[in-house]
Amino acid sequence: MTDALTTVEPPAAATPRGGGGGTLRYVLSKVGAALISLGLIVVLGFVLFRVLLPGDPVRTLTRGAPVTPEGAAALEREYGFDLPLWGQFTRYLGNLAHGDLDRSLVFKVPVAQKIGERLGPTLLLVGVGTLIAVVLGLWLGTRTAWRRGSRFDRTATGIALALWSAPTFWLGLVLLTATGGLFPSGGITYPDTPPDFLSQALDTAHHMVLPTITLVAVVYAQYQLVMRSSLVEEMHAEHLLTARAKGLRDDEVRRRHAVPNALLPTVTLVFLHLGLVVSGAITVETVFSWPGLGLLTFEALRFPDYPLLQGTFLVLAAAVVVMNLVADLLLRVLDPRVRAS
Amino acid sequence: MTLLQLRDLHVRYPGEHAVAGVDLALAAGETLGLAGESGCGKSTLAMSVLRLLPPTAEVDGEILFDGEDVSTMSWGRLRAVRWAGASVVFQGAMHALNPVHRIGEQIAEPIRVHSPKTPPARVRERVAELLAQVELPADRAGAYPHQLSGGQKQRVMIAMALACDPKLVIADEPTTALDVVVQAQVLDVLTRLVTDHGIGLLLISHDLAVLGATCGRLAVMRRGRVVEEGPAHRVITAPTHPYTRTLAAAFPTIGDPASRYNPATAGEPPVAGTEAVGEELLTIRDLRVTFGATAAVAGVDLSVRAGEIVALVGQSGSGKTTLARTVLGLRKPDSGQVLFDGKPVPTSTKGLKAHRKQVQLVLQDPTSALNPRHTVHEAVAEGLRIHGVRGDEADLVRAALTDAELRPAEKYLGSLPHELSGGQRQRVVIAGALALSLRLLVADEPVASLDASVRGEVLALLLRLRARLGLATLVITHDLGLAWNIADRVAVMHRGVIVEHGPVEDVLLRPHHDYTRSLLAAVPRPDAGRTAEPRADQGV
Repeated sequence: MTDALTTVEPPAAATPRGGGGGTLRYVLSKVGAALISLGLIVVLGFVLFRVLLPGDPVRTLTRGAPVTPEGAAALEREYGFDLPLWGQFTRYLGNLAHGDLDRSLVFKVPVAQKIGERLGPTLLLVGVGTLIAVVLGLWLGTRTAWRRGSRFDRTATGIALALWSAPTFWLGLVLLTATGGLFPSGGITYPDTPPDFLSQALDTAHHMVLPTITLVAVVYAQYQLVMRSSLVEEMHAEHLLTARAKGLRDDEVRRRHAVPNALLPTVTLVFLHLGLVVSGAITVETVFSWPGLGLLTFEALRFPDYPLLQGTFLVLAAAVVVMNLVADLLLRVLDPRVRAS
Repeated sequence: MTLLQLRDLHVRYPGEHAVAGVDLALAAGETLGLAGESGCGKSTLAMSVLRLLPPTAEVDGEILFDGEDVSTMSWGRLRAVRWAGASVVFQGAMHALNPVHRIGEQIAEPIRVHSPKTPPARVRERVAELLAQVELPADRAGAYPHQLSGGQKQRVMIAMALACDPKLVIADEPTTALDVVVQAQVLDVLTRLVTDHGIGLLLISHDLAVLGATCGRLAVMRRGRVVEEGPAHRVITAPTHPYTRTLAAAFPTIGDPASRYNPATAGEPPVAGTEAVGEELLTIRDLRVTFGATAAVAGVDLSVRAGEIVALVGQSGSGKTTLARTVLGLRKPDSGQVLFDGKPVPTSTKGLKAHRKQVQLVLQDPTSALNPRHTVHEAVAEGLRIHGVRGDEADLVRAALTDAELRPAEKYLGSLPHELSGGQRQRVVIAGALALSLRLLVADEPVASLDASVRGEVLALLLRLRARLGLATLVITHDLGLAWNIADRVAVMHRGVIVEHGPVEDVLLRPHHDYTRSLLAAVPRPDAGRTAEPRADQGV
């Protein structure tokens, strides 16, 4: 009977796809969406800092020193502030197309150059901090989920919640006070450190300890809690019963079937969050005078240095968009279900 | 010799005595069917054999597998027995397979666990062999579960269960979510393989017909106890326990005049007859609905008159659900017409709202159709509020509940869905539809997720609603017995077209189209046991 009827069974719900066409379309649509976001950020950058923000650029330039009306007019011409708003916008777009982010009013150097100088320390701090936070958060999340309700779970989850809700600057100041001069309170190196690589690296590491701890403390909790809830949910999955029935040990069930599946949403979150961590570094960098993009933004705000603010805004916002894109593309590589849809 | 022996088995959960003293025995190579409704303890019993119950379960009594007591086995010994000694085909293969592992990998896993020294090339060979046994091409090993159909997934589960040559296979509702034809294929593969390899089979199902067609011996479970046990043929044709009789009567034999317009019910008998049929209410002309390149509905003509019950039968993927959605105005036709009361189904938001006051949908699973946090009153009143129906809300809700035979209505008003039985939930859904000025009910598998004993109650309700209110019903189902129970006319749908159409007696008793014949052939016949000779009662 089976033979007579095999033709009747409907074809598979979805034949294996995910080859050429589907993938390309998916990537293009995600990249397209990211480009649109970037375009909106460029416009928003102009509107925020040239149209909405109060203040007089000439005053910033001259740092409040008296200036003749002719002098002020000359300065305005030099920076293009005398143009009508539309003219300023097209000039801004034109410059941007050449990678020119204008000149800083305060530092008197191109904004792009200034950002370039400060990008390294931020990447170092955020990179190391995120790496530690991810490892710590996922490990704690896995353990607390597997032993949920235990004292370990209650303690670790409680600590995570407390640190997550603590204000960053407060945490930084507490750490500074509590360690009592054991670690440098600011900067990236001492000026008298020998210029060879090893000494510089050790000194930087020494300076990094407190900012990194602060950043990790603020960030890891979210990874831990998401990993925990994702794994707790996964532990109810019926296919784990299949795995146990197959004769797998409990730790094999966890390692092969529960944790990898629970990691999928968490990995996406890590990348979604990475862009935000860069912006979150502003507070940490300010507290510890870490010479990165965050501190630069803070300095630019004080004057206010519009072109510089605009530049850091563009870079930080673009980081969020790019990381979202990476998260979308990565999930597709990792999760076959997303690949098919 | 006895492969599996249960002696005075008790399983208790906090506040529940799930299995209350069961004695059962299964000989090597024998097939034993375990029947019962949801909550009777049959799945708990099955899971206790491999100690797969949650830690809250308390097990008493003896479970001897191959002469060894499972409950005193060391963890190491137990893991060795799991899958290599006894394996499981779980219900709902959708969830029983890991969604992010390739199926070849999942079939190979128990082989690697139980014979870790098998060379990788041999494992691959074995996986291909197993896939061939369940009639799947070897290249499906690279597929992920979501790329397979329901029947294919269940075949994968069977291949997986056979991977380590077990002595016993426990199959827990292996075909419940599948339609008749696929169900027949899967049962066929399963029984052929256990017979060929001399494997003992413990098959669990709520469907006596499935068990009767597959097993040599049958045990019927109710409230944690076995109420009747014996050779399958005897239990089905001459049941001694009243409960077995109820179960056996729930699924009608097509062609049996006693069950025509008369679904098995313990309550008031339904009112039969087609005399109430009136004007043509729903007219579908040359309807086409396409998804991209595929035509889900490829030129359908169908009509439903007032007071008429029409069954639209076909397998999953035949386009019947798409057709229903079009009738409700949830999809626009690509060409052709859907006329309700002589006028095309509106497309404007306002027009659709008025349309849906008269045409309502009842879905397969009342549990997911109801908001778990809304009381019965809220659930029924929601439609009234959306449509701004005038009148006293409390009165209207009470009237609708009474119409849906939830009596006295006051008793149910404050209940939450989880406090009701499956049949009562489905009545709440129907009451929600009745509260509006309902003229056509579109019911998509209205009893597929319900227990056998309430199935008849809900079907009888549909018959009485037709007699009392002149309600027209379009029932979408893969269950031919349902059509025999309540429908006036039946339309058989296959690949987007209606291949046969006419009064129920003509189509089901004298089918003309090959597809209708194959559907009818796939309906399990409980009195035609597949395992040839009825065995003598073993043990107990």
